[in-house]
Amino acid sequence: MNKCTDSDIQEMLPDLLHRALSDSERRRVEAHVATCESCREDLDVLRTVKSAAVFAPTIDVNHVVRQIPPYHTIVPTTERPTTTRMVSWLVAASLALVALGGGSILLQSNGSPASGSRVTPQPPIANATAPEPTKPTQAESVVAPGPIAQPVVARPHALALAAEADGLSDGGLVQLMNDMDDFDALPGSEPDPVLSVDSGDSL
Amino acid sequence: MIPSPEGRPEETDLELINRWRAGDGRAATRLVGRHSQALARFAASAGERDGIEELVQDTFVRAFASLDSFRGESTLRTWLFTIERRLMLDRRRSERRSRETVPVEESDHVSEYGALDGLIAEEAQERVRKSLDALSPTQREVFTLRVQQGLSYKEIAEVVGSTEGAARVHYHNAIKTVKEFLKDE
Repeated sequence: MNKCTDSDIQEMLPDLLHRALSDSERRRVEAHVATCESCREDLDVLRTVKSAAVFAPTIDVNHVVRQIPPYHTIVPTTERPTTTRMVSWLVAASLALVALGGGSILLQSNGSPASGSRVTPQPPIANATAPEPTKPTQAESVVAPGPIAQPVVARPHALALAAEADGLSDGGLVQLMNDMDDFDALPGSEPDPVLSVDSGDSL
Repeated sequence: MIPSPEGRPEETDLELINRWRAGDGRAATRLVGRHSQALARFAASAGERDGIEELVQDTFVRAFASLDSFRGESTLRTWLFTIERRLMLDRRRSERRSRETVPVEESDHVSEYGALDGLIAEEAQERVRKSLDALSPTQREVFTLRVQQGLSYKEIAEVVGSTEGAARVHYHNAIKTVKEFLKDE
């Protein structure tokens, strides 16, 4: 017996059994089956399987219906919102804990004398003691903000010195202030000391 | 509306669902009556032996509890098969777990065989059951949904959570196996 190569027809055989084909499709399939032994055999197998459906108990419809609550009393997602809410609270609590933990670590590291890289000496002291610097020319004021980050890498000893400012004597502190006058990376986020002094004087 | 065998118009599943939502309990009876035996047959064909009535009941309770999520994109029967299949998988998982912890007694074997003997009434059914047992679980599901329930490949893919192409392959492999099995018997 030759194997049928018309896969379209083969796939429609169950539909023929269930009368799910249009008239034209049914005629086409029936005409093919009449001449194809392989499909006739397949159809016999399908008929056998369909008619000998495995025994299934008869369902008591009324018993099933009695278990179904009326529409308006059903709360289909009773468990899910509670679960979702619980999960949301847990996530929120976890995030808060992480934020608190992270914040405290940051605070600790900022407050620690050993962590030098973030310590910024306060400029007002320098303003009070340092002589009034000359106003930068327009060219300088344009160029100055550019290389803000470079000196931090290039002159780490200045930051290290600033980190230990608490333990300095008066002389050391003055030396530090003098060094800071040359350290043009620090005032980046601070107000310009020259301008603030000027404005205070004029008032 | 679709015509009933008696000639009077028969309400569609969606119309019955709307009637049930409006408070008509008889609509639920019609829906359960329309689909319960198909669900029972599918469960039996898929290898369920005990508790099929309970399984069908659970399927309807779950389905009615979440009818709001049924959009009518597939037929109600396909949707019910999907729910029932999930319940069967859950049940098998929990049975596997309990088998791992509880040793099987000799009497369990005896009662299982006894129940099967009672279920298989005729020789043809026995042969078909054996041929279906030769299939993989997915092949068996696809094959029985296609042959015994008349679902399309698209619907079968929805029920078993696969693709139409994969369902086709499962069907072709299944019919080849069943054909050979029935020939050899």
